[in-house]
Amino acid sequence: MTNPYAYTEAEVLSIVEETQNIKTFALRPKSAIAFRAGQFMDVTLPGIGEAPFTPSSNHNVRDRLDFTIMRAGRVTGLLHEAKVGDVVGVRGPYGLGYPLADFKSKEVFIVGGGVGLAPLRALLYALFNEVNDYKKIVLKYGARTSKDIVYKQEIGSWKGKAPHIDVEISVDIGDGSWKGNVGLVTTILRAGAVDINNAVAIVCGPPIMMKFVTFKLLDLGFKDSAIYLSMEKNMSCGIGKCGHCRIGPYYACKDGPVFTYDKIKNLQNIWD
Amino acid sequence: MEKKLYKITRKDLYDLFTRLSSEYRILVPYAKGEALHFGEFDPEKENSIELGGIRQSQPVKSFINPAREKILNSSRRDKRPLILAGVKGCDLSSFILQDFVFLKGDTEDPFYAENRKNTIIIGNDCTCAKETCFCLAMEGTPYPQKYFDINLSPINDYFLAEIASDKGEALITDFKMFFKNYTAMDLNAKQANREKVTREVRYFIDKRGTQSTAQIKGAVKRNYNLAALWQDFAATCVECGACNLVCPTCHCFLLFDEKAKDANKRYRIWDACLYNTFARVAGGANPRKHLYERLRNRFEKKFDFFPEILGYFACTGCGRCIEACPGDIDLREVLKGLVSGEKWNKPPND
Repeated sequence: MTNPYAYTEAEVLSIVEETQNIKTFALRPKSAIAFRAGQFMDVTLPGIGEAPFTPSSNHNVRDRLDFTIMRAGRVTGLLHEAKVGDVVGVRGPYGLGYPLADFKSKEVFIVGGGVGLAPLRALLYALFNEVNDYKKIVLKYGARTSKDIVYKQEIGSWKGKAPHIDVEISVDIGDGSWKGNVGLVTTILRAGAVDINNAVAIVCGPPIMMKFVTFKLLDLGFKDSAIYLSMEKNMSCGIGKCGHCRIGPYYACKDGPVFTYDKIKNLQNIWD
Repeated sequence: MEKKLYKITRKDLYDLFTRLSSEYRILVPYAKGEALHFGEFDPEKENSIELGGIRQSQPVKSFINPAREKILNSSRRDKRPLILAGVKGCDLSSFILQDFVFLKGDTEDPFYAENRKNTIIIGNDCTCAKETCFCLAMEGTPYPQKYFDINLSPINDYFLAEIASDKGEALITDFKMFFKNYTAMDLNAKQANREKVTREVRYFIDKRGTQSTAQIKGAVKRNYNLAALWQDFAATCVECGACNLVCPTCHCFLLFDEKAKDANKRYRIWDACLYNTFARVAGGANPRKHLYERLRNRFEKKFDFFPEILGYFACTGCGRCIEACPGDIDLREVLKGLVSGEKWNKPPND
């Protein structure tokens, strides 16, 4: 009997403190786990509870999975107290992941906000694996302040991976040390960054950011079906049974969590 | 398989249950006040067993998808297969939905599948109707049509037993002496009872003007943004979730972890979409912050979502939610409001 609710034990290999309330945990599952960028998994604190996260690491690596986790509730609060060597659990992957085949030979325009860069990091690594298959890769990332930027150690190196990669960061609130753009991430979404007719936009961030980024992308001329949104819902079982993550006729856990805007734009309350 | 029909007396049926009770766990309906409750078969309490009447207080899901099921490091205490006797038509039709949720799709729920496999279902015709009954409006009937292994149609002090599956046939194979030939009169009596109860249910539906599925189709979508309607019906809701818990088609659950000395436990526990935590995510965002949105969600799920994805209106007309609601919210009145919509469509100053 395969028990879909059972988890695989995983050891905490390393912990990176990204910001004051965000940490990246590298986990080594007891047996290798294959996932596709954009799919999510449930991370369990044995005997405490579990919560859904999208791995933020390269999907070509199956024996070491990164999870970038913001302290936001009971389980994440306790996860933040985990130490290297602790054993947690993982189950999954669930959902559909990014349709990379559909992005081939296109310009990929990625917009992230805050900890929403986590699944996009997995996407970027997947794109970097076959970097020449994509015409252009552009990342526009927004954080509240410069202190809230995640992956500070590596984000600067992404631009140098290939000539057709561009990375720009904006912070909502500037300070003396920040030399880049100050303003919401929508202020760095400009016409001309990509060839709209041959581009896809991938967005992940807090609901309010996703809403305004989507409207801005539509203004720029992106088609509904070319905008890929990560819909954050209360995904629990991961297999379309528990009922928590319903969004219109879909369950985010099995039909998503990434949806193109045309599939959800006529549904109610999608931004709440 | 070909359906087989026999006659069995009440006494012989209880003798059969007594003989089977070492191998099977047997649940039968007992009369308790005005209601029926499932309980363990006990030959000494034969007089209060009621195989007839109306549906029991517990929805049938309680025995296949229990309110709390251990799903990690579990070991079943009672390993005997279950015989569930006396299940009414309204409850049986909920298997369309429960089986769809737990058995279909990419992943099967192995705990549900095992319980389903290990349960023999003995259906039972209703012999009366209650004011809250409206199965006919929800495309059901007050007698089982599907999802049973054996069905019992009560006639005086005996039953017409219909054997409808191999599981049912296997159960009685060693006890054929209890099963006798029936007469044409028995068939007529069975039919007469079914028609009588159907008339009773129809009477209650007509009296209240309860809407049927054809009328309800599209009504939730049409009135989705009519906040005043939903707010009116949610005015007396106390978010107890009773309507969810007693509903034979509600299937939502949460996963709950518990620390234990030897092996940690994980449970699958019924959840209720009326609770404000149901759709809330970490950090506090909640797509259904307001109570009226959660009440609306219940109706959207039953009368819009499932008709769309399964072609099934997720209400069996059992009426349990009407009886359970401490705020006197009557699902039939909500449906009437949704179909007419009139009262709430008037401009505020009219």
